Formats: sequence, structure tokens, C-alpha cells
Amino acid sequence: MFLVPAFAYLLFAFALPIGYNLILSFEQTSPATISTLVAPFAGLSNYTATLTQSTTQSAIVRTFIFAAGSLFFQFVIGFGLALLFNLRFPLRRLARSLIIIPWLLPLLITGFIFKFLFQTEAGAINQILGDLHLISHPIGFLTSPGWAFVAILVANVWIGIPFFTVLLYSALQDVPIELKEAAMLDGANAWQRLIRVTVPVIRPVIEVVFILGFIFTVKVFDVVIGLTQGGPANTTQILAPWAYNLSFQQFNYGAGAALNTVLLLIALLAAPIYIWLNKESLRGA
Amino acid sequence: MTRQRRFTGALAAVAAFVALVILLFPLYAVVVASFENNSQLFGTHYNFLPPTPSFANYSTVISTQGGHIISSLIIGVFTAVLTLAISLPAAHALARYRFRVTVALVAGLLIAQILPSIVIANSLFILYHKLHLLNTYPGLILADASYAVPFSILVIRAFMLGLPNDVLQAARVDGATEWRTFTRIVLPMSRSAIITVAVFAFLNGWGDFIFALTLLSGSTFEPITLSVYSYIGEFSTNLGAAMALCVVGLLPAAMLLIAAQRYIAAGLTVGSVKG
Repeated sequence: MFLVPAFAYLLFAFALPIGYNLILSFEQTSPATISTLVAPFAGLSNYTATLTQSTTQSAIVRTFIFAAGSLFFQFVIGFGLALLFNLRFPLRRLARSLIIIPWLLPLLITGFIFKFLFQTEAGAINQILGDLHLISHPIGFLTSPGWAFVAILVANVWIGIPFFTVLLYSALQDVPIELKEAAMLDGANAWQRLIRVTVPVIRPVIEVVFILGFIFTVKVFDVVIGLTQGGPANTTQILAPWAYNLSFQQFNYGAGAALNTVLLLIALLAAPIYIWLNKESLRGA
Repeated sequence: MTRQRRFTGALAAVAAFVALVILLFPLYAVVVASFENNSQLFGTHYNFLPPTPSFANYSTVISTQGGHIISSLIIGVFTAVLTLAISLPAAHALARYRFRVTVALVAGLLIAQILPSIVIANSLFILYHKLHLLNTYPGLILADASYAVPFSILVIRAFMLGLPNDVLQAARVDGATEWRTFTRIVLPMSRSAIITVAVFAFLNGWGDFIFALTLLSGSTFEPITLSVYSYIGEFSTNLGAAMALCVVGLLPAAMLLIAAQRYIAAGLTVGSVKG
């Protein structure tokens, strides 16, 4: 009895939309077919038409580059901060809670704030780079293709740093002090202790943050809309905003659904690993 | 040794301070910008402090966005209520009984956490059209709860697994019904997990953009994320007011972090690692 609402909700909010998305992806849709719920069967045409489009192909490749770049910088910066917070210093509790803020903000607003910061004229980032004499002319972050990708990457890394920091920090707290002391007695230096003792001990958590980080990143939508809307010239289109564009701006719901299936499959790449990493909670231990 | 430790402590404090200044700069910048006018925001250089601080943007926000702020609050609160109503009984059942479906359901929840919202939104748009749920609060709130429900069930269940079994056993011996045990004993004991989940579900509803964008069009109400979106479209017309609205959008997260810090930190770690 207690499970009925949850069961009904999972069917309504997850199983039904995913199932319907599959149906849509095989249909010949048009704005007129919205009201009929079913449209003529279209075979694989949505898939072939969408996947042969160059924008789609580059969006798929870009999504993976975006994920790899985000995870790399989120991990390096997040792990560095976790190690830093693991030291004793005044006000570290305050510092630890302040670091969480970027995680909790509405993602669209974060994207918008970065759009403001990345402006060419009177943009804070150009101003700071100029004041530090790192650049002589303002960079058109939002108008030049390569830089626009850097902009969405920076914003997404910023959002993900707290997640990596908090989880890796809590893992570091669980590393037994005796292990580090034993390694110290054996003459291991700080770097060796980190690589040989700390990293192996917290490896399970590192795996979880990478898997979850991957899942978060392939889904990214709001940040791109807030910052670049996929532009200039689709050079910041990744899967989720491009699928939205196909469905809701080009009104090609079938094509959007086909691309959504691709996005779904990419996200689900992570599923077996994620479930395996959570095997304890499956057993109910 | 102690001297060296004190030195590393001071060094770490300085490093942490520098890191925080860099990381929190975007938030500082948006607050500063919210006190500037449009010609200052689009001048020849960036201002690290507002040249002539003014609350004009905030009065614009209050007079033009008041209704949207209330809409976002309604969406956030009811997303939290719905999430708890679905999650609490399910978490209790999954924690106490080993059904045949338990493993399948927990695996299903883990997969549900992975599913991209844009996929759900695309289908719901057409399904809602038929169900007449487009442009309605119930429709949007049902969709927004999808961010929080899987996470919530897993977090609360993990917490309930840790409750002492003998207390529940004693209640049963005393002849308490399942419902009574659940409402009188399990729920009060799970208070901290419930607060954690409620905070996150509220923030999910408050900050949602994907479902608002796809499931509302020309509706009678509009959350602030959609207002921010329309400000993006007309970037240069009233950036100051847009920035003040962003500050309002950031406030609940900041306030809840101060008020419920312990619950948030707990939820973040438990939800992700032990979920």
C-alpha cells in the first residue's frame, strides 16, 4: 500500500514519457499532430534525418568533449579544494559551507550571470584579464565560436566544483589516520602518501563522483540556454538544447524525440556502473 | 611541529580565502550589478563597485515581478509537499520490508535519477496537451517533482534503514497499526532526513526552467526563471532589473543554506554516495 503512490508516480513521470518518446521518434509528426496523440508511422526516417545532420553530429561529439573537459577540471579543482579543506585552519567550516552555494542556484540564472560576466565591452572577465595584462583587446567570448564553448565550459565547471569538493572532502574524512601515519613512518613523502594511500582508499567515491558528474554533464540544458542559446552558429549546441531546438523551435517533435533517444542512450551508458556502485543499497544493507 | 602546523594552517586559510574570492566572484558581481543602471552596466569598463548605488532595479522587480515570485514560491512549496507525500511512505516500505520488487524498484529509482529532464519534457508536452495539464500548476508541479522524487526516496530510505529496529518492534507488539507506527514513530524519528529532502525539492521547483519553458506557454502565471529567460532575449534593454531579479532568484538557496546548513551538507553526501 505504501508503495502505490511512488509506483504510480514513477510510471507517470518516467516510464510513460520515456515510452511515449520512443513512439514519437518513429512517427511523422507535425504541429498539427500534437492534438491527435498519434501520428503516421515513419520508420527510421526521424533517426536518419536527424543523425545525418551535421549540427547533430557535431552536437554529439561536442557533448562528449564538454563532459570530458568538465569532469577533468571539476575533479582537479574539486579534489584540490577537498585536500585544502581537510587541513586545519580558522573558519574552515564557514569556507566549506560557502563553497556549496554555486550548487544550489537555479541553473538558468547561473548561465545568465556568466553571460553578463563574459560580455565583450564592460564584461568583468575581460576587464580582469585586461587589468592583469593577460590580454590587450577584449575577447568576444559570446561571439566567437571557440571562446563561446570555453564560456559554457567555465560556467559548467563552476557549477560542478562544489559537488566534487563536498563528496571528495567527506571521503577524505573517512581515511584512517593510522594508514597515513604508517606511510609516514615508512618514509613516504606527502605526494606518495596521497597517491599510494589516500587515492586508493577513496577510490569508490572517486568513481561515484565521475559517474554522477558524467550524468549531470550530458544533461546540461539551462546553462547553455542562459549563456549562449547554442550560438554563435550552433557552436555551443550540445545534445539537450539541440533536442529542445528541434522539438520546440523547429516544431519537429519526431526529430527531437529521435535525438532524445540518443541522449537517453548516452546517459544510460552510465546506468550499469551507477547501479553496480550502489549495490549495497540494492541489498538493503 | 606545532609551529610548522600553525604555519600550514595560516597558509591553508589564505589559500582557501583566495579560492573563495575567485569562486564566489560571480555572485558578488551580480549583487553589484543589481545596484547599477543600464548606462553604467553598458559603459566602457566594468565597475567593481556600483558608481551610484540605487535600489531602482529592486523597485522595478517588486512592481513588475511580484506575481512571478509568488508563482515560483507556490511551485517550490508544492513540489516539496508532493515529493514528500510520494517519498515518505515508499521509503518506509522499502526500508522495512524486503519485497520481491524491492530490488527492481530501487534499481528503477537509480535509473530514474539518470533520465534527462528534456526527454521527459518533450513527451509530457504532447501528453499534457491531451490531459489538459498544459499551463496549469498541477501539471508543472507533477513534472517538477521528477527532479526530487527518486533522490528523496533513496535518501529517506537510507536514513530509515538506520533507525533502531527494537523501537519499531515494540510498537508492533503494543498493537500499533502499520500506519500508526509510520506516522507516530518513524516520521518523527526521520525528521532530519525529511527536512533535507524538503529543502532540495523546494529548490528544484523554485529553480526549474526546463519544465516551465516547455509546459507553460502564454499561461496566466509564470515563474521567475521564465522572466529571467525573457530578460535574456532582450539583454540590453534592462540588464539592471534582470540582475536584481537574479539576486531574488538566488536568495532562497542562500537563506536555506544558512538556516539548514547541517541538513544540506548531510543530504548532499548521503544522497550521492550511499543513495
